[in-house]
Amino acid sequence: MNELLLMCLIAGRRAAIPAAEVQSVIEIDDITPIPGVPAYIRGLTALRSQALTVIDCRVALGFESSTEISGQRAAVVDVEGHLYALLVDEAYDVGDARSEPIDVPGGFGPGWRAAARCMVETEGGPTLLIDIAAIVAGPVAQAA
Amino acid sequence: MDDLLADFVAETREMLEASGGEIVAWEADPSDKERLDTIFRFVHTVKGNCGFFDFPRLEKLSHAAEDALAECRAGRREPDSTLVSAVLAIIDRISEMTDAIEAGEEFPEGGEDELIAALQSGETVDAVGEISPKKSEQSAADTSAEEAAPKAARAAVQRTIRLPTELLDEVMKGVSDMVLARNDLARRLREAGEQPTLDGPFDRLSTILADVRTSITRMRMQRLEHLFTSFPRLVRDLSNELGKQVMVDFEGGEVELDREMVEMVRDPLTHIIRNALDHGLEGPGERIKTGKREIGLLKFAARQSGNQITLAISDDGRGINTDRLAAKAVAAGIYSQAEVDDMSERRKHYLIFEPGLSTAEKVSSVSGRGVGMDVVRANIERVGGSINVTSKPGEGTSFYLKLPLTLSIIAALTVGSGGQRYAIPRSYVEEIVFGSSDHVDFAEAGERRLVTFRGKRVPCLSLGEILGTKSTDEIVWEGKTLVVIRLATDDVFALAVDRVYDHEDVVVKPIAPAIMETGLYAGTTLLDDGRPMMLLDLPNIAQARGLVNEMRSTTRVVDEDKVERRKTHRIMLFTGLDGRRRAVRLELVRRIDTIARDAIDIEGDRAQAVIDGAIFSLIGHEYGELPDEKCRLLRLSDGESEIVYAVREVLDAADMDGEIVASSADPSVEGVTLIDDRPVPVIDGHALFARYNAPRRLDRPMSCRLPADSDWARTILQPLVEAAGYRISTDESEETDVAIWLAENPAETSGPARRVIRLRPEPEAGEDAQDSIYRYDREALLAALKQTRMGVGA
Repeated sequence: MNELLLMCLIAGRRAAIPAAEVQSVIEIDDITPIPGVPAYIRGLTALRSQALTVIDCRVALGFESSTEISGQRAAVVDVEGHLYALLVDEAYDVGDARSEPIDVPGGFGPGWRAAARCMVETEGGPTLLIDIAAIVAGPVAQAA
Repeated sequence: MDDLLADFVAETREMLEASGGEIVAWEADPSDKERLDTIFRFVHTVKGNCGFFDFPRLEKLSHAAEDALAECRAGRREPDSTLVSAVLAIIDRISEMTDAIEAGEEFPEGGEDELIAALQSGETVDAVGEISPKKSEQSAADTSAEEAAPKAARAAVQRTIRLPTELLDEVMKGVSDMVLARNDLARRLREAGEQPTLDGPFDRLSTILADVRTSITRMRMQRLEHLFTSFPRLVRDLSNELGKQVMVDFEGGEVELDREMVEMVRDPLTHIIRNALDHGLEGPGERIKTGKREIGLLKFAARQSGNQITLAISDDGRGINTDRLAAKAVAAGIYSQAEVDDMSERRKHYLIFEPGLSTAEKVSSVSGRGVGMDVVRANIERVGGSINVTSKPGEGTSFYLKLPLTLSIIAALTVGSGGQRYAIPRSYVEEIVFGSSDHVDFAEAGERRLVTFRGKRVPCLSLGEILGTKSTDEIVWEGKTLVVIRLATDDVFALAVDRVYDHEDVVVKPIAPAIMETGLYAGTTLLDDGRPMMLLDLPNIAQARGLVNEMRSTTRVVDEDKVERRKTHRIMLFTGLDGRRRAVRLELVRRIDTIARDAIDIEGDRAQAVIDGAIFSLIGHEYGELPDEKCRLLRLSDGESEIVYAVREVLDAADMDGEIVASSADPSVEGVTLIDDRPVPVIDGHALFARYNAPRRLDRPMSCRLPADSDWARTILQPLVEAAGYRISTDESEETDVAIWLAENPAETSGPARRVIRLRPEPEAGEDAQDSIYRYDREALLAALKQTRMGVGA
């Protein structure tokens, strides 16, 4: 498989988002919080006068959220016509997958199970491939 | 060519293009059932459309092809190459004829019979085998060569194209984004200070963008005609079914509405039409008996006013039977008999929008399918519109629909809570009151917070609490601003917010499903500075908090009250600068302004205030000291001019149901009335405007010529004349309305004038200047100018 991947760091683990699904990587500076929404939605941010729903990937995967958001990177993706900004710890380069996707016996751990499709080998080592639709749906939908 | 015909041609051509591939495939395999169906649908549609347009030849052709294909579909005939060729020949002919129709040409006579005959199996096989393929080949091959010339000529005729609406939406979205990006840029340019090299091109960009935006918006617009055209058929079918005779009348078909909106109102309108025909209009017999024309009239009238469309649907039927409606409401347990008895006639009409009510004695196939006017109303309101009904027994019923021009732009009120802004659709906002006002009382009933103002108790919600940013305990209710919300369901509640910002038109964009799930928001919009703002979903919030039914009793009382109120006079209570309560008739109050003390200038008898760059006469300041910083002002208007009245606090609006006891002691007071058993002086609007009335600004100001060579005229007289509402003419040849001459310079004839006022330098009139005015006799001069104005106005 020669899929191009956006390499990033989520909750301290190497993760990858299929590059074809990523419109751009932005730096988040200002988030308008939306009261009343699940915790994994951090709020809205504007990109070129479009409102993006900011998803905190750490929270969506069941981890503690990071406190400092300003300046953090986010990958902009489109899920069913809605634009989302996926907050990640770090966003690195775009790279090739070095192997076919593989499942790891025993799974990736509770949080990752739903949102990680599989694992691929990359230059930086084994990397989890993120399912953006699952991330965007949030932990609640995953539990259901 | 009219629109309908253009549509027909466009549709036919589109189908031809789409079925081109199918035709070829069918030719390769005549037994292919799917291809057969596609082609059948094509000829069938053409046949159907022809019926509307009186194209007998086209209809005959398509009909014949349809018949032959139907035979095949039914399995009575095996499609063979002969049939395929014959059908294809007909399709080619349809295409040619369509081109001719579009170009407005007459298609050469003849040929159809042969084509039709070719469809018959058997005897003409040979002939067809020869003619048709050739024909189809020829038209296929020669389209580029032989027909190139006429095609080119026709291209000029075709000036419309069909586009998928998604593409339009995309372009529109792009332009909206461009506007927001422009706003952002504008803000940055402002921050950077004046930059002549940039400002010019930027202004041009803004203008172009505004133009593009207008055109894009127009692209999305559709004439209401498109909607109307489907109604005559509906009415005809229904009236046949019901045995009634109905005539349909349309007005304002040229009014344009957003395409999407047109689709959204189609169903509600259809329902109203069904109702009108079924319940409203009487049968011919009954109509004649009551002295009406036996043909009923159903009238549609559309009108655009600002960014709203009013659509009225009226019938001249029997009107709404309010007694029966009320009885039904009681029977259905929606209201008690006593409540119904209390209702005004108008209020009873509104019962028609209650869920579960229908006036029809029995459910017919036409209406009464369990979908009532409540659904119609809900649908109209969902798109940001409103519906109203009026009815007169025996004379008819009218429904008035108010629709916004587009779905995506709504008028909103922006409010603040927890340091953030939120938007509320303005149509829901009934009133804004300050929690700190004396006449607003908070109370608790169980866990429900209630607010009492103007004698009504309504539930009160805090926006902070709804959004979960604040708990109820922390809320200082008195420090809030209350936005009184009246929902479409007539349920009323007060929404406590930190502050109210502004009215603005916002472009609403959809939000992610996960945010939608909260049930708190209906969409998002971007502020001018590019920050997102959420649009609150008030009906949902009220529903979630059980306010929609709970408040029914309150609502009703408020509603009845409104009807009653028309008989009394509404006044606004305030305390003057001396701390005394006074009142002014509400109609006079245009708005309430708060301005800085600096903007008020008082000198001797003259007092003026500057609001938004305009100067107003100020009154009310004589009662006491003006506050040091901010002054609250009532802006009063008699419809033409405005004056401002300084007050200490605005209290409330109230009904003045008692009489006004006239008082002659104070000329500025009309009289004294009792409000809550306390005497309140009502200020005399008439006297105020009589005294302080600024001269009315005419659309075309009267012109006045002054002596050109007099410094006195220029420096002293000119300001006075201008203040009286005159324009000073400097054009020598213009015939002015009035000219002022100086008596010491009588020979002055600088230009023509309809009337001349002569001024003399001495207070006493000399013998030769009896009709002149002393140049410093201000009163007389103004009177003379006024007289001129009246003379022309009459």
